[in-house]
Amino acid sequence: MANITKKVSWSSRGDESGSPWEGTPLLNGSEQPSVSRQLSGGRSIFQIGRLSTVDLEDEITAEEDSRGRPKEIPHNEKLLSLKYESLDYDNIENQLFLEEERRMSFGGFRCLEISRWVVCGLIGFLTGLVACCIDIVVEEMAGLKYKVIKENIVKSTEAGGLSISLILWAVLNCAFVMVGAIMVACFEPIAGGSGIPQIKCYLNGVKIPRVVRLKTLVVKVLGVMCSVVGGLAVGKEGPMIHSGAVIAAGVSQGRSTSLKRDFKMFEYFRRDTEKRDFVSAGAAAGVSAAFGAPVGGVLFSLEEGASFWNQMLTWRIFFASMISTFTLNFFLSIYHHKPGDLSNPGLINFGRFESEIMSYNLYEIPLFIAMGALGGFLGALFNVLNYWLTIFRIRYVHRPFLQVIEAMLVAAVTVAVSFTMIYFSTDCQPLGPEHSEEYPLQLFCADGEYNSMAKIFFNTPERSVRSLFHSQPGTYNPLTLGLFTLTYFLLACWTYGLSVSAGVFIPSLLIGAAWGRLCGILLASITSSGSIWADPGKYALIGAAAQLGGIVRMTLSLTVIMVEATGNVTYGLPIMLVLMTAKIVGDYFQEGLYDIHIKLQSVPFLHWEAPGTSHWLTAREVMSSPVTCLNRIEKVGTIVDILSDTSTNHNGFPVVVKVSHNNEPAKLCGLILRSQLIVLLKHKVFVELARSRLNQRKLQLKDFRDAYPRFPPIQSIHVSQDERECMMDLTEFMNPTPYTVPLDTSLPRVFKLFRALGLRHLVVADDENRVVGLVTRKDLARYHLGKHGLEELHLAQT
Amino acid sequence: MSSHSIFVFFVLLVINIHAFVASDGLNVTALDSSGKLTQVSVLVNSPSVFKPIVDSVYPLSLLSSFPEDVEISEYCSDLLLVLGQRYVAYMSCLIPAARPVKVCQKCYSGYSSLVQIYQNISSDQMGPGNVSCRDSLLHSDRLMLVYLLYSNVENIWDNSNCAQCLSKDFQSQTNDTLFFLNVLNQTLSCFEKYKQRNLTELCKNCKKSYKDLNDLYSLKELNHTLCIDLEDAMNMTRRLWSKNFNCFLPREETVPVIAVFSFMLFLPIVFYLSSFLHSEQKKRKLIHPNRAKSYTGLMNIQDKQS
Repeated sequence: MANITKKVSWSSRGDESGSPWEGTPLLNGSEQPSVSRQLSGGRSIFQIGRLSTVDLEDEITAEEDSRGRPKEIPHNEKLLSLKYESLDYDNIENQLFLEEERRMSFGGFRCLEISRWVVCGLIGFLTGLVACCIDIVVEEMAGLKYKVIKENIVKSTEAGGLSISLILWAVLNCAFVMVGAIMVACFEPIAGGSGIPQIKCYLNGVKIPRVVRLKTLVVKVLGVMCSVVGGLAVGKEGPMIHSGAVIAAGVSQGRSTSLKRDFKMFEYFRRDTEKRDFVSAGAAAGVSAAFGAPVGGVLFSLEEGASFWNQMLTWRIFFASMISTFTLNFFLSIYHHKPGDLSNPGLINFGRFESEIMSYNLYEIPLFIAMGALGGFLGALFNVLNYWLTIFRIRYVHRPFLQVIEAMLVAAVTVAVSFTMIYFSTDCQPLGPEHSEEYPLQLFCADGEYNSMAKIFFNTPERSVRSLFHSQPGTYNPLTLGLFTLTYFLLACWTYGLSVSAGVFIPSLLIGAAWGRLCGILLASITSSGSIWADPGKYALIGAAAQLGGIVRMTLSLTVIMVEATGNVTYGLPIMLVLMTAKIVGDYFQEGLYDIHIKLQSVPFLHWEAPGTSHWLTAREVMSSPVTCLNRIEKVGTIVDILSDTSTNHNGFPVVVKVSHNNEPAKLCGLILRSQLIVLLKHKVFVELARSRLNQRKLQLKDFRDAYPRFPPIQSIHVSQDERECMMDLTEFMNPTPYTVPLDTSLPRVFKLFRALGLRHLVVADDENRVVGLVTRKDLARYHLGKHGLEELHLAQT
Repeated sequence: MSSHSIFVFFVLLVINIHAFVASDGLNVTALDSSGKLTQVSVLVNSPSVFKPIVDSVYPLSLLSSFPEDVEISEYCSDLLLVLGQRYVAYMSCLIPAARPVKVCQKCYSGYSSLVQIYQNISSDQMGPGNVSCRDSLLHSDRLMLVYLLYSNVENIWDNSNCAQCLSKDFQSQTNDTLFFLNVLNQTLSCFEKYKQRNLTELCKNCKKSYKDLNDLYSLKELNHTLCIDLEDAMNMTRRLWSKNFNCFLPREETVPVIAVFSFMLFLPIVFYLSSFLHSEQKKRKLIHPNRAKSYTGLMNIQDKQS
């Protein structure tokens, strides 16, 4: 109700003043009281937080003073960072574009289509190759490490000095982890973690700085080798997705800005729109290489970045993922001395589940669903713990050397815990006929028997998962599995979010497989004839799916990935049900892990839908106002000043035709981007110069592409005092048909436009087509549905 | 079914005799009532071999009533007989050797003679009378009994890995094997010697020979020169050593391990505490966006909603 009255009063005032937006500058002046009121009310919580810290008097800049109180708060999840920009998915149909299209023949378009396929093939091939490299290096180095440690342990079991073995193991692991952590923390922090949140943001349309650079790829690949070999509770599958995306972004551009090499290829693809399509193909190729799941890869791309896709693109993505799996298979077959054998897919291979032993019955479905619920609950617990840990890390552990030390400490504790568990375990079992452990530890077991705990701890996580899935019933004691689940849960939770590049897929699977197997064993023991149907391997699989689903909350793609990785379609139904239950139960408590990390990085992420109860919000409330506009023919000095203003880091400027000389907003005739203006300034496209030099080459779209994606900052462009007086004609370069909405458009409508069209700027115009406001991604992303209804996030400098 | 088709066969045979008295060999293709195509190749040396009278003398005993041409040759049945004898001999050797496993040491000669006769049967070359027994003995019926029995034996042989312990031609055990058995016997005799007395003494005194045995075994394991006999003997010895004589390694380093463990657990606690106390907390500067009047902030949203 209040809603309506407010609106009425607004419009009535507009009627009174004759022109509704005459008051725009007035609004600026009257901002002061509203800010202070806001501070005394809504921000009281933050003030408390601020008082508790030591040094808050510093760094009150002049700018903040002018606005009233210093506004510094500890990092939390309810912030939007200023450092993230949108990608330009909207095609700028300016005159240059039209000219180029006119020039391009029909054959040219066919060529483009073909080169898209070529690029996708290359992406698949290179992604597969990188995956293969990671796999081989990890296998070799981990093998070497375990061999050395095993020899030492065997020696000191007899002769004494097991604590020395423990220290040796810890030192080796710490050394590897240190290398990985230094690379990530000091050279490329964005390469930390699994990279899936970053790629998710990129596909959503947020430009994460440096996320698809070559350097990131190198650090990512080397980092993941180090962290897996370093024995952390991590997997190498998540980073593959990021690697695939970087490869895609690099290959599709036909050049590397880092290496300063331009192959003069694929120049047409040097735009955000095209690049995004290839990045989604790269992410798919990464998934497909990681799990041997081409279809799962395509679905992952669609699930995470699905707002922009069509049938042809999907088909190309599928092509890239297939090529990637094929390449990986081929090179791994050579590595395993079986060249040409293509049946060895994926970095993680769950192994074949034989359908006779692993058949399931109708009455087991409720059990599976219960396990799904448990997985959802445990996943939520994992996420909550990790959430608090991540907040602590962002606030206190933000210096690179602290991050390196933290990673090393985690590695050391992981070793200490594993070793102690192995040392005190009395669960001894003989090796199975086809055991996957290359380095079984005997320790204090009877001769011919081996320590069960060491089978899962003294091994790479991938092998442990496989062992839990496929070992014969009776390989593991319930006590071993229970202890393992508990410790590994805590270790994995502690590890995720360290500044090493590592994924969370495999640890989740491992935790799930352990308690799933435990469930299987317990079920078999409570029913006297149960040993027939309750095969522990089957329950390990279900538990793994439940735990993974509970942590990452992916649905469709995860189901398909699991089905493909096990190579057994019969498990489609139980896995789907389990993932569904896990998601429902988990969402009741906490969001998915990736969403939490996106939020904690203060990314303006647009979800599928606008928050539910936001129809009463209109563009009038959402938009930023007043807007910095440019005239169609603008003085160079003005442009330079606007661009150099550090306090307003705008990227898009509505171009207007001035009606009169007062402050009244002018009529909209186009939109121009900061990047375009910078290119224009760099090439000195001034009206006066054009008159004097008639034969000057006309600026083409190619000039804009060449500068993409790293446009120089305005500071690096020198404009002389004389040139400042020149004029610039923007007519040719601006986007003459920007999207606009009327003032009363509701938030969900605006949201839909943004999400479906991939917009970056949306001009809000009044009934006479005069610019009154501008909606950007950050204006929309700040509304979200919290515990107490609709909440607003704050913009912050990070 | 079978008697029916045999009946059809004979009818056709008689017809064919009337039709092709002069011909030497003929192929009869008979389509039985179920529509199955039964192809029978009949080797006929000369028409005079046929003795149609036999049919009337033994009308009920069809098994012995085949004409010689259809029946297997004498040579082949001899081979079959020998195969049977050797098979029985091998089996009667295997079964007593099942536990404790001695199938390689005791029965390798039986196996090699069995292989030899089977190779004779399955070889391509013709025996006397220019006959090959391969087709007639191995796969002329659905059951293929000879082949089935032999593949069973093969399976046992492969699983037992006996070939690793024997010389190339399966005539003798390798020197390696004999040496291992020798070492094993030494260890066992040592066990015997001290078994009656104190077990701790056994653990101490036999440790060296047991350790040698163990080392030799792991060496052989690496070289893949183990067969089931040795594996089983080793398993039994190990069980004796660990389970019966309780010669465990003592778990005596608990204190140092726990000390290192707790030290390592202690480090992160120090790290987090110190970074909490000494590290400067990361602050974010809030930015105020330009908004139209009175529409900024949380307060307003909540006002409007209420």
